[in-house]
Amino acid sequence: MHAQFVDLLMPFLKFVGSNEITEDSRLRDLGLDSMQSIELLFAIEDTFGISLPDEDLTDTTFATAGSLWAAMQRATDQLAAA
Amino acid sequence: MSTALLPVQDGAVLDVPLRQRVERVAAVAAEHAADTDRDAVFPVAALAELRATGLLGLLVPIEYGGLGGGIGDVIDAAIQLGRTDMSVAMIFAMHCQQVAAVVGHAGPRLRAELLPQIAAGAVYLASVTTEAGKGGHLLSAESALAASADELVIDRFAPIVTGGAHADGFLITMRSPDATSPNQVSLVYAHRDQLEITGSGDWQPMGMRASHSLPLRLTGHVPGHQVVGEHGEFPKIAMEVFGPLAHLGWSASWLGTASGALSRVLKLLRGKDGRARFDLGSELLLSRLSRARQRLDAVHALLRHTQHLVTSSADLSTPPNQLLLNALKITASEQCHAAVEDLIDLVGLRHGYLKDSPTRLELALRDLRSAALNYGNDRLHLADGRLALLDPEVRFV
Repeated sequence: MHAQFVDLLMPFLKFVGSNEITEDSRLRDLGLDSMQSIELLFAIEDTFGISLPDEDLTDTTFATAGSLWAAMQRATDQLAAA
Repeated sequence: MSTALLPVQDGAVLDVPLRQRVERVAAVAAEHAADTDRDAVFPVAALAELRATGLLGLLVPIEYGGLGGGIGDVIDAAIQLGRTDMSVAMIFAMHCQQVAAVVGHAGPRLRAELLPQIAAGAVYLASVTTEAGKGGHLLSAESALAASADELVIDRFAPIVTGGAHADGFLITMRSPDATSPNQVSLVYAHRDQLEITGSGDWQPMGMRASHSLPLRLTGHVPGHQVVGEHGEFPKIAMEVFGPLAHLGWSASWLGTASGALSRVLKLLRGKDGRARFDLGSELLLSRLSRARQRLDAVHALLRHTQHLVTSSADLSTPPNQLLLNALKITASEQCHAAVEDLIDLVGLRHGYLKDSPTRLELALRDLRSAALNYGNDRLHLADGRLALLDPEVRFV
């Protein structure tokens, strides 16, 4: 995962403590709630210039840092292909 | 796997249509409704009939001795019960929501132990998901489960437990063992005899008086396999089972209550005395009748459409799906209450405001006033506003 992505996640994960964020980090457990997901989404759009497609706006996408990163990768690839 | 015989004997249970079973419960509920409302006590007679008719096991699969019903059956039954007694309908719908969580997420051992008992009418389930200080927020928990060897230690205060004094078992949310944040929530089953239960407080609400909801403290030990779903997986159960079934079951109960009220008003108007008392050619009367019926048709259509979504969608977590589920709850709570308001204006003081009118509008209005407050509409609108921002294309499902 991109370091910039991890930095972007940090403010949303109030329970992360001193733990390192890995692909398996469960975002909800670490403090992300559905209310904050939209702000995280805006931050991703602003920072990486991508927007996640509608079908990816599910609990599964936001389950772990890795699943969110994977969705972002797909969006980046689609942008590149377009 | 054991299968228990249902208390309605001779194995003919499944030949009895759902409607007849529900009619039996509704008849008992009707007999006691005035008393349970006046005294604000739990409808124990109706619960006994829910046990005897096998309806507590409506969602229990047939292989465990249940009726093997589905969500549509719960909705049908809640509408039918709601026509007579909204408290009974809500109690039933909420029990079914708990059962659905056990059926869908409990491990094989807990399923084998618990489901036949529910099917046999021996276990009425209550839900302990509220916690002091979190205002009904489902997805976080302050009280933590302790795990020792293969045992879970429960120590939990809940500010409001519907039917808690009469439940045989409880599904309890608690912070998972070894959780590092309050967002790691587990759901645990505890049988009444595994718990020490202390409760206190008076229950004197405006309406829904028979739903008898009290603060309880639950302490005890349960074996490790009584966790429902994996530890920390309660959010998944809330998304797949609790949320959808709550909104469907409540809305069905409210629709039933408003439909029962409209039906009684129509029968009053069409009766010989009614025709003498009311001018059925009055444009104001006809318009008010139309408005009330229109509200209920709209709620019914939304309810059935949402039922279809819940039974056909692979993932309910998408913004359009969540928006529809919330829209059902908000719309049903507003429109069912508004329909009864229309009817009160229509029939006036004698039949709209006095307790002893056969229309029972006074009770229906008090009961339905709780609908907007029960998992508050203000909070759902807040969630929906954010969900709307997540769906800029405005996709309908």
